[in-house]
Amino acid sequence: MTTTNRRSGDRVRWWTYALLALAVFACVFPLYWMFVVATTDTAAATELPPEIVPGGNFFHLAELVFTTVPFVQSIVNSLVVAATIGAGQAVLCALAGFAFAKLRFRGRNVLLLVVVLTMTVPTELAIVPRYMIISWLEWTDTLQALIVPGLANAFGIFWMRQHISSAISDEILQAARIDGATVWQIFWRVVFPLVRPAAFVLGLLGFVTAWNDFLWPFVVLKSPEMYTVQIAIKALQNSFAIDLGLAMSGSFLATLPLIVLFVFVGRRMVAGIMDGAFKG
Amino acid sequence: MTTISPARATITPPPAPAAPRRRLTDILAPYAYIAPFFAIFAVFGLIPLLFTFYVALFDWNPIGDHVFIGWDNFTRLFGDVRFWNAVRNTISIWFLSNVPQLAFALLLAHLLNHVRLRFAVFFRMSMLVPYITSVAATAIVFSQIFDRDYGLLNWLIGLFGFEHIDFVQSVWGSHVLIAVMVTWRWTGYTTLLYLASLQAVPRGIYEAAAVDGAGTWRQFLHITIPSLRPVIVFTIVTSTIYGLQIFTEPLLVSRTTLNTCGAVRQCQTLTLFLYEQGFGQFEFGYASAIGVALFLMVVVFAGINFYLSTRIRPGRP
Amino acid sequence: MVAAVGSALAVLAMSGCSGSSGGTPSESAAGKSFEFWSFTGINQKADVAKYKEKRPDVEVKLTEVGGATETAQALTTALAGGKVPDLVLIQGDNLPKFVQQPQNFVDLRTLGADKMKSDYLDWVISQSVAKDGSIIGIPTDVGGMAVAYRTDLFKEAGLPTDRDEVSKLWPTWDAFIETGKKYTAATGKAFIDNAGTGIFYQAVNQVSQKYYDPAGNPVYDKNPEVKAAFDLGLKAVAAKITARQASFSDAWSAGIKKGDFAVIAAPSWMLGQLKDNAPDTKGKWDLAKIPGGAGNWGGSYLAIPKRAKNPKAAWEYISSTQSPQGQLQHFTEAGSLPTTPSVYKDPKLTSVKEPFFNDAPIGTIYTDSLLGLKPFLIGPDSAVMGQEFLNAITNVEQGKGDPAKAWDAALTAIRTAIGG
Repeated sequence: MTTTNRRSGDRVRWWTYALLALAVFACVFPLYWMFVVATTDTAAATELPPEIVPGGNFFHLAELVFTTVPFVQSIVNSLVVAATIGAGQAVLCALAGFAFAKLRFRGRNVLLLVVVLTMTVPTELAIVPRYMIISWLEWTDTLQALIVPGLANAFGIFWMRQHISSAISDEILQAARIDGATVWQIFWRVVFPLVRPAAFVLGLLGFVTAWNDFLWPFVVLKSPEMYTVQIAIKALQNSFAIDLGLAMSGSFLATLPLIVLFVFVGRRMVAGIMDGAFKG
Repeated sequence: MTTISPARATITPPPAPAAPRRRLTDILAPYAYIAPFFAIFAVFGLIPLLFTFYVALFDWNPIGDHVFIGWDNFTRLFGDVRFWNAVRNTISIWFLSNVPQLAFALLLAHLLNHVRLRFAVFFRMSMLVPYITSVAATAIVFSQIFDRDYGLLNWLIGLFGFEHIDFVQSVWGSHVLIAVMVTWRWTGYTTLLYLASLQAVPRGIYEAAAVDGAGTWRQFLHITIPSLRPVIVFTIVTSTIYGLQIFTEPLLVSRTTLNTCGAVRQCQTLTLFLYEQGFGQFEFGYASAIGVALFLMVVVFAGINFYLSTRIRPGRP
Repeated sequence: MVAAVGSALAVLAMSGCSGSSGGTPSESAAGKSFEFWSFTGINQKADVAKYKEKRPDVEVKLTEVGGATETAQALTTALAGGKVPDLVLIQGDNLPKFVQQPQNFVDLRTLGADKMKSDYLDWVISQSVAKDGSIIGIPTDVGGMAVAYRTDLFKEAGLPTDRDEVSKLWPTWDAFIETGKKYTAATGKAFIDNAGTGIFYQAVNQVSQKYYDPAGNPVYDKNPEVKAAFDLGLKAVAAKITARQASFSDAWSAGIKKGDFAVIAAPSWMLGQLKDNAPDTKGKWDLAKIPGGAGNWGGSYLAIPKRAKNPKAAWEYISSTQSPQGQLQHFTEAGSLPTTPSVYKDPKLTSVKEPFFNDAPIGTIYTDSLLGLKPFLIGPDSAVMGQEFLNAITNVEQGKGDPAKAWDAALTAIRTAIGG
C-alpha cells in the first residue's frame, strides 16, 4: 500500500466521513438485523415498530437450528469443501500460472486464449448434463461432486500468471536452472514461496465462493448428512411454514464462521483484491 | 471476478532458460501443470456444454423418451412470451443492479482515495462484509426487510404516511429488490478494484490540476474517471457474465411461487426459466434450448465487451 | 480428444436413457435398511420413529427434501441419473407425470399390491395406475375439507362461534363471502388469508370434472364448473375480505400467529401446519364444514423407484404403515385422513377430538366431506393448470391484474405452458 499516490492536499471534509459512515451502515446493517431477528421470535420480528435491539432468545433459537437440521455436520462439510477448494485452487492456479508466465511450450498462446474463453462459459446453463456426468461417475450426494468441479478456476490462473510475471525475474530462474534444479523443484523452492501471499488471497476468495455456493450443491446433495451450510439454511425454511427467527438464526450461524475468518484475514483479503487489480 | 483484462494479456515470451540439457520431464512439465485445469474443465464445462447443444434438438423427457425434433425447440422458444419476459427481466435486473453499483463504487473509491483519510482500513474492510455473506442468507434478510405487511422498510414508508409497497408482486418492485441484493453484495468489491486503480494514478496529475484551479468535481471528471476507464469496462464485462446467470436471488425471493418468481413471472430470469423447464416441467430438451440461447447471449455480450476493452486504451499518462 | 468427447457423449446418452444400473445391494444392508425421501411439514419423522419401534432391526434413512413440488423435482433428477431413494412420497398433483412413465417405478403388483388394492378409495388408488395396468404408488392420505376459524375473533366480530352454527352461516360459497364482508366490516381486518388457495382451490376441488373429462381430454377452458370456481375467487377479491398473503409464505405464517385473518381453508393435513405454525393459538381454533359440502384437496402416494436397491424393505414399510389399521393409527396421531374407507365408521376414528381445535370431532368432519365426493380425473398437466389459474387470481388480488381479463390471461398462460 503506497500512500504517495493518493489525492493530496486539503483536509478531509466532514461529509466524506458522513458518506462513508452511511456506506458502512448500509453494508453492516443487514447482518445486524439478521442477528436481531435471530434473537427474538417471529412474532417479535413482525411487530411494528420493530425491535432494533437483540432479544434474549438467541440460544433457544440456535438450539432449534441444531435440532432441526444437522447443522454441525453441515458446517464441517462446508469447511471441508471450501478449504479443499481454496487450497487446491491456490496450488493448481499457481502451477498453471507459472507455466503460462515463465515456461515456453508449443501451443501456449492458444491454450491461454482457451483459458480466457472458458471464463465466458456460463456454467449454470449446463447444469442438467453436469448432473448426469456426476451420476455417471456415481458421485451424486458426495462432497467430491462439489470439490472437483470447483478446482478449475480460469480467473485464478490469470491472477497467478500476472503475479508470477511481475514478482519473479528470469535471472532467478536462470540461476536455479544452472544449479541443475528441475522445473518442479524450481516451482516449489523458488516460485511458490515468492507468490505465497497472492496464492493465499486467491485461496481465500475461492474459500468464500465455495462456502456461499448454492445452486450446484442444491442439485447434487440429497442426504442431510451431506448438506453444506447453504443447503441447511434452505432446509430450515420448510415449504409450508417458516419460522423467521429460525431462518435468520440459521443464516446468522452460517455466516458467523466467515465473519470470524474475516476478522483475522480481512485485511489481507482487502490488500489482495487491491493488489491483484488493474494497474492501469 | 477477474482482475486483469484478458484482452490486454498479450504474452511476451521470456527468454528461455538456457538449459544445459533439457530433460524430457521438463519439456512435459508445463503441460502437466496446466492439465488439471483443462481436464476438469473438459469434464464439467465443455462436455456438458456440447451435450446441451445435442439435447436441445430433442424432445427429451429425462425419465421417458427422447425424440429427435430438430429445430422445433428453438422455433417454440422464439415464439414463447415467457422466454422474452425472462430476457426482459434479466436485462432489466442486470441494468438496475449495475448502474447504481458503478456509481456508488466510483463515489466511494473517490472518497476512500484520500491521503489523510482516517480509519481507512476499517472502511475498506466494512465494504467487503456483504461479499462474505451468502446469497441464501442475503435473500432471507432482504425479503424480510422488504416485506409488504411486516417489513422494516415498509414500516418506515408507513411512518411517513405512504401506502406500503408490495415489492415482490410488482415488476419494478421485484427487480429493484433483487437489484438491491446484487448491488449490496458487489459494490464493496468493485470499490476496492477501483480504488486500487486510482492509487496507481500519479499524484502529480491531481496537483497540477489543482494548480490550474480545478476543483474536486473537475478533478473527478477529468482525472478519476478517465484513469478508471479500463477497470470500469472490465467490471462491466464480468458483471455481465455474472448478471446474465442470476438465479439464487429470484429463486429465494418468492418461495411460494416455486421457480417462477411471482404470479406473473415478474422477476423470472433466464436461468430460473431454464431451471423451471428442466427440473420443474421435465422438459430437458426445451431447457437445453434455453441454455443455448443463454450461451449465445453471453457470447454476444462478452464479444461486445471484448471488442470494447481492446479499443479503449487505458488512460496511462 | 474428439473421440473421447464422442464416446463420453454416447455413454451419457445411454445413462440418460437407462440411468446407471441398480447394482446389487450389499449383503449386510439388504432388507435391513432403506432410503426414504419425503417432504417437510407433515411430520414424517414421527411415522418413521413409530415404524422403528416395531422393527428395531431396520434402519430407515429419512430425508425431508423440501416442499412437495421440490421433492418431485428431486425425484425427477434422481430418476434421470443418479442415486435414487428406495421409497419416495409423491404429492397427488405431481403424480400424473410419473404415472405416464411407469417404467421408472417398481410395479407394486409384483410385491402384492393387488391384494391391497380394494382397501383404498377407488378414485384415489386409480390415479396411481398406469396405462399398462401397473400400480406405481400406494395412497397414504386424502385431504378432505373443512374451514378452520378463530372463535375469539368471530366473537369480537359478533358472529356465532359454535361450529354447527358457523357451518350454517355458509351453505354456499356466496354466503361464505357475505359472511366475510360482515366480519371485515365489523373488525376492519381481513377475513381469509387469500382468494387463490382459500377459495378458488377449494371450490375447484368440489367439481364433477375438473381440468380433464373422464376420457382424459383437457377441458380446463370450457368447463363451466372451473369458470364458476374462478369467478368465486375473483368475487372474494372484489369483496376485499382477503389478507392477500400467499399460502405458506413467511408473512402468511406470521399472519396466523398474529390473528391477521380469522379463517383458513383446512384440509386435514393443514391441521398439523397450524399447530406447528402458531402453537400459542391452541384452543382458539375450531372447525366448520366447507361451503358446498364435499371435496378433496391434496393427498399423497408412496412409490418405489425401479432402481431402488432395497425395494423389499421399502415395500415392508408401505404394507405395514399403509394398511387400514396403520392409516387409522396415523390419523389419530397426526390428523391426515386415511384413504381406506373401511375404517371411516370405526369408533376409533369417529371419536377423535382435536384439543387444538376446541375438541372438534375431526374424524367425522373430514370423512363426511369425502363421502359425497364425485371423483374427477387428474391429468398430466393438472398441476400446471391449477397453478396458472391461481396465479391469475393472485395477480388481480395484488392489484396488478384486471379482473375482466383474468380468465383469458390464465387460459393464455396455460396454453403457453402446455404447448397447446
